[in-house]
Amino acid sequence: MDGQLGYLFAGFAVFWAGLFVYLLLLQTRIRSLTREVDRLEERLADAEADAAETPPRGGPSR
Amino acid sequence: MNATFAVVAKDLRLAWRDRAGWLTAGAFATISILIYSFAFDLATNDVRPLLPGVLWTTFLFAGVFAAGAGFQREAEEGTFDAMLLSPVSPTVIFLGKLISSLIALIAIEFALLIAATILFDEPLLTPELVAIVMLGTAGYASLTTLLGTLGSGPRTRAVLLPVMALPLLVPMLIAAVRATGGSLGIFGGDAPWTLLLAVFALWSTLTAIILFPLAVER
Amino acid sequence: MRTANRVYGLRWVLLPPLTGMGILAMLVGAVVAAPTELVEGDVQRLMYIHVPSAQAMYLAFGIVFVASIMVLWKRDMRWDAVARGAASVGVLFTAFALVTGSLWGKPIWGVYWQWDARLTSTLVLFLVYAAYLLARAVSDPGDEQAARYSAVYAIVGFLDVPFIVMSVRWWRTLHPQPIVSRLDPQLPGSMLAVLGISTLAIFLLALWLILLRTDTERLGQRLLGLRAAVDRREEA
Repeated sequence: MDGQLGYLFAGFAVFWAGLFVYLLLLQTRIRSLTREVDRLEERLADAEADAAETPPRGGPSR
Repeated sequence: MNATFAVVAKDLRLAWRDRAGWLTAGAFATISILIYSFAFDLATNDVRPLLPGVLWTTFLFAGVFAAGAGFQREAEEGTFDAMLLSPVSPTVIFLGKLISSLIALIAIEFALLIAATILFDEPLLTPELVAIVMLGTAGYASLTTLLGTLGSGPRTRAVLLPVMALPLLVPMLIAAVRATGGSLGIFGGDAPWTLLLAVFALWSTLTAIILFPLAVER
Repeated sequence: MRTANRVYGLRWVLLPPLTGMGILAMLVGAVVAAPTELVEGDVQRLMYIHVPSAQAMYLAFGIVFVASIMVLWKRDMRWDAVARGAASVGVLFTAFALVTGSLWGKPIWGVYWQWDARLTSTLVLFLVYAAYLLARAVSDPGDEQAARYSAVYAIVGFLDVPFIVMSVRWWRTLHPQPIVSRLDPQLPGSMLAVLGISTLAIFLLALWLILLRTDTERLGQRLLGLRAAVDRREEA
């Protein structure tokens, strides 16, 4: 019986460890993707704002 | 039908022009048989039960190798993409590829069977065994042709094709080895292996014919 | 963190707590509440992970199949994200089923691995879907041609399952026959109840992981679109 408990424990340990590692990897990936998407969206928004501020060619600022 | 013949003729011409590729596959298969016999000493009687497995692993490896290499040139030269843009239907293009590679593969396999008959003193060219070999070849060639022609790039195709194709072909391999063993009187078995082989060949050919146009349509 | 809100949207309010409660119930049920099996002893408790994992594997691969059909039919890369998410979770649960199965097999059968019909067909399935993930990983996530190629592979792989199961069953059989689905259940009621709870918990877990993974893949696809947009903007 005692020897069996080792196998039971190992089985549950593999399940939890596997789940934990999977979620950890996924979390890391989501975080880096989110950061990158936010950064790019900001850059895009800035570029659009710049484009809006820049007066059209031949405008009054010239 | 005429278009199919034209495409088959074109593919056979291509296969002939590219015979170095097919010859390499055939040479690879011959070397494998020899390597197996050195490794297992196949001519002795105790290892006779290994013979069907040796034959079929050799056929499969040669087939996957040929599907990866045989298509390389067309992919590199872009003739395949040009074909897809032509008015010929994708089904016909696929059938042409399949039939021409079936002809080349069966030629290689016959040469191997003759070689094995001589080397192992086992009558391998019986009608039953020839039927089994043809059924098995039809089963794997349709899937390797499908996966080989669709691959995204030459680099990934050569590496990934065996990894992708071989697990799918496990049922075909088991059935072919058992049926061959049964036909040689090596394993007695009650399961209808030849039937499974036939159903697999039918299924894989139909699936490949249906899926190929869906995959290449743009 | 605007994007974070999209990843952990409304459906994340309900599913994670439910999954957590289910997993907790499963743990309590499997380790404490279920009676010890008389012949096999405590190691039989692995069944409460093993059997639901195997079923979750079929659920996940079924989703891959449907999503792959949708990739070919609708030509929408969002389905490709679903297929990839489900395939990766399916491979994870296949690994769980294989590992818990061998850990159960060592004390009961005396060996970790037997070339038994179910074990072998599960292993072949593992190889098929691992190859799928590999093929998808070496190609660009936004590559539609590669997505269609993988979809074809996934469809062929799923349709291949009956052949794999049948050929391997004729080849070898040693696995304990399914004892739940028979007309008169041989499993005592309390064990059956725990198994039911575990199955529900693992299904919720698998579903949550698939959704999470799918959203991650879609985030990756959005990133590609954004990169292209920024490039266009800065070239202009």
